[in-house]
Amino acid sequence: MLCGALLSAFACQKDPIPEVYKDADLTGEKVDVSSISANVKKIFMLNEGGMGSNNASLDFLRISDGNYVTGVFKKMNPDAGAGLGDVGNDIAVHGDEVWMVINNSGIVEVISAKDETEIAAIQVATPRSIAFDDTYAYVSSWAGAYANGSYDANGNYTITDSKNPKGQVYRINLSTKKVEGSVEVGYQPEGLACYNGKLYVANSGGISSQLPPNYSYDNTVSIINTKTFKVTKNVEVQVNLKNVYADGTGNIYVTTLGNYWSIHSGLYMINTSDAVKHIADYVSVSSINNGTIYCIGAEEEFDWTAAKTWKAWSCKNGTKTDMNLSVSATSLYSLCAVSSSTFLIGDAGDYFNPGSVSLYNNGSKVWTVTAGVCPGHFAIW
Amino acid sequence: MLRWRLTFFLIVSAPLCIFAQEADTLKAAQISSIITLPVVRPSESVRLSSQVTVPTQVADVLRNFTGVQVKDYGGVGGLKTINVRSLGSEHVGIFLDGIQIDNAQNMQVDLGRFSTDGIETVSLFNGQKTHRLQTAKEYASGAAVHLNTERPRPLNGSEVMLKLRAGSFVTINPSIRWDKDLSSSITLRTSGEFLTSNGKYKYPCIDTTLVRENGDIKSLRLEAQLFGHLKDSDWQVRAYSYGSERGFPGPVIRRAMGFPFSAERQADQDIFVQGSWTQDWSKQYSTALRFKYSNNYTHYNTHPEKNPMAMPYDLHYRQQSGYASLAHSYIIASPWSVDLSTDVQYNTLVSDVGQFVTPHRTSFTGALSSRIAWEKFRAAAHLVYMGAWDTFDTPNAGGWSRDNRYRDAWMPSVSLFWNPFKWVEVDAYVKRSYRLPSFNDLYYSQMGNSSLAPELAFQFGSDFRFSFNSKVWQAELRLSPYYNRVTDKIVAIPTSSQFRWTMLNIGTVDVTGLDAKASFLYHINELNLSATFRYSFQQALDHSDPESQTYGNQIPYIPLHSGSLAFQAQWRKFSFIWDTTLTSGKWSRTANIPDYYIEPWSISDAIITCSVLPSLSVGLNLNNIFNTHYQIVQGYPMPGFNALLTVDYKF
Repeated sequence: MLCGALLSAFACQKDPIPEVYKDADLTGEKVDVSSISANVKKIFMLNEGGMGSNNASLDFLRISDGNYVTGVFKKMNPDAGAGLGDVGNDIAVHGDEVWMVINNSGIVEVISAKDETEIAAIQVATPRSIAFDDTYAYVSSWAGAYANGSYDANGNYTITDSKNPKGQVYRINLSTKKVEGSVEVGYQPEGLACYNGKLYVANSGGISSQLPPNYSYDNTVSIINTKTFKVTKNVEVQVNLKNVYADGTGNIYVTTLGNYWSIHSGLYMINTSDAVKHIADYVSVSSINNGTIYCIGAEEEFDWTAAKTWKAWSCKNGTKTDMNLSVSATSLYSLCAVSSSTFLIGDAGDYFNPGSVSLYNNGSKVWTVTAGVCPGHFAIW
Repeated sequence: MLRWRLTFFLIVSAPLCIFAQEADTLKAAQISSIITLPVVRPSESVRLSSQVTVPTQVADVLRNFTGVQVKDYGGVGGLKTINVRSLGSEHVGIFLDGIQIDNAQNMQVDLGRFSTDGIETVSLFNGQKTHRLQTAKEYASGAAVHLNTERPRPLNGSEVMLKLRAGSFVTINPSIRWDKDLSSSITLRTSGEFLTSNGKYKYPCIDTTLVRENGDIKSLRLEAQLFGHLKDSDWQVRAYSYGSERGFPGPVIRRAMGFPFSAERQADQDIFVQGSWTQDWSKQYSTALRFKYSNNYTHYNTHPEKNPMAMPYDLHYRQQSGYASLAHSYIIASPWSVDLSTDVQYNTLVSDVGQFVTPHRTSFTGALSSRIAWEKFRAAAHLVYMGAWDTFDTPNAGGWSRDNRYRDAWMPSVSLFWNPFKWVEVDAYVKRSYRLPSFNDLYYSQMGNSSLAPELAFQFGSDFRFSFNSKVWQAELRLSPYYNRVTDKIVAIPTSSQFRWTMLNIGTVDVTGLDAKASFLYHINELNLSATFRYSFQQALDHSDPESQTYGNQIPYIPLHSGSLAFQAQWRKFSFIWDTTLTSGKWSRTANIPDYYIEPWSISDAIITCSVLPSLSVGLNLNNIFNTHYQIVQGYPMPGFNALLTVDYKF
């Protein structure tokens, strides 16, 4: 998503003869994509799957002909017998590459955005989320929650410290696809975002809240200088941080999950002088488009048995605006702001069987298609 | 466990007893009247003879019972639970000499841990078991598996039985049993069994062959039992200890080279003391008093220092339970009798899981049963009340506000038996039963939902048995159609984040099925031949949410068709058993799509036994002879061909 501007410039030059990709024969459900800009080639959906079930899967929505195709990684990589792996936790596009974080496989999978064929599979212990700058992909990892270690030249991981529960951010060279070092951050780091030589990492403490000695969540964003690859500052925000977005003007937005009891989920902003501002509560899913953050949440979020009334709102330059978007979902699971009026929403259903993806335009639902199990993460190419 | 398979026909020493009425094993029920007979017979029952090579685990005995699905994660130490007629394992009560082996934490009993040593019969009851002097809990289970101990034979002095099993996966499994008469009415039995296995086996994974790692186990079982009988009474006391240390190999998933699948280990120490005393006070009135204390300790460690992919858990659990039951049986006037059973139980679970509430459950179960028994027709009506009161040491922990809560349920049932002709017997039952939410369902800090209601199972079924015989052959056919409906099914659902799950009463499943069994026995001179065909049809449909895409689909892990063919020959000192099991394809999800399809499979086993001397027998089990690679649970490959040699010696 960070590279959208770069890509659309490239697309304009090559417009006359569209390249034919190897996956052009793949077809799925035909849907109406008239509301999506022709500058968008595909929107990918990484379905998480269930832990231990090895059923993470990749879908895409092809804008040129409006096909929603499921299970494309397996279809385009028939030799990769084990499929995409176990628990797809994040996806992002860089250039013509799609990078996927396969959490319980310990793999960062790189494929071609053009035809979904494998480019590289990079070993990273318990990876969670990914972000890029021009040289590196940065991957947050819970490895430290379990045991810290290092890789040798053959890629074998040796545990050097089994007591340190803190997490890591690994950096992977974009051209060689090799891990080039790591830096320790807070407890169980989740989302991250790059802006202007700084990497912002949200620490959750999701595991340490359940374990001695802490029994508490982390509440900090670690700020890393990408030149020195060292943490320069930890900013306290709120407990159990989740996603991080850079709006392109220096503001950093962080979502929190809360403590599932007394502290609600919410959206916070860190401004250029690292001051934290609470924007609003109730964020179940979020997305960024063109510097605006879009959120959907429900006030009944901790009443597990109540029917939820989903409220959508947006935030630009720290100002919240309510949106007119009537969301209906059994288990709201993911959001992709394709534009300020077009949204894709993932619904996990019963979390066990394949969920669905719906397109909303100008406030109401246009179509719904079947996706994979736990449709959790969108990326626009 | 090793792929033991057994059939009905292991009854080598007394092949004809398969046609005998299920005997009421309680000595106190000596009132020689038809009125003391159980109303219905078990759906399946196997008599295990200690003289022959039998499966080492109870799970392997149950594998071939019609209507039973063993959920087996593979390997010697792998978890094995059973579903009966698509009722989940939480609905299936496992009883040892009439006293339930329960697990308040997750309501699942790992049948891989129960040795067949010292067990005389393994019986399965669908619907209602209707023996005299049952515990109330026996009335309250949706389906029940009964393990009955082999009582010592009258001895002059003592008897020692030694058994050694050894075979594939470097399995070594010696056991010893020593019976000694302490007086003319009291016998002491002590027994011990040790098992070790490295649990390693090859399985195909994509285009290569891998070895299942971290599946090793060591276990030690020690038991002492006292059996006593007087003219009108009968008692026994058992002290049991089982300790084990094992690895869990984990699911086969895509994993980066250099990271293991799993380094998880679990150590268990289970101890219980149980006893029973039955007394005939008069020709009309009998009572049975039973008690149990159990203490189960578990230490689970994911060993993050050996596996950087592991969640860092190092947890300890201790469950304790105290139980007492008093049953009365009174013959009002032949053929009418009534039974009243009352059980009380206390369970608690202590753990160092973060923000654990430490729940306590005090439960009461009462059962009133009225029976009429003529020789050709018997009927029983039962009414069971179950109530459970939950309290906590820390009412508000982990972000949940916990209310002390009382849950209760009424469970009526009716059973009928009719023998219209000599060669036809008909059984029928209709029953409502509930299973309580487990401590894990309710109070696990990351997912509990303390407002859960009990899960309801409505069952209706019948058995038609036809038997024919001549001097040299006998044949039996059993057809059992049934219908089950499970509502308020307790289902785990993650909330807005994958980290936080909750449990809801949202599922509905309708099950329509047919169990069929045909057996044929032929004996002439010293030769006995027998063959048994079993077939199960189970259509178990998800009817939870009409809006859902999976509405009307087959539920996970239930094959539409399954069956087996068993053949046995016995001649002089030799016996040979062949057994082939077939299972149709099934799905691991309610979404019946190719990604979640589990291929059909067929497994064949053979057992060869030779009684070298009256006191010495040798057996060889050949399991999965055709080296079939298959999975029962998706992601958990089962072992290929394996063998086990058994030597039995008695003196």
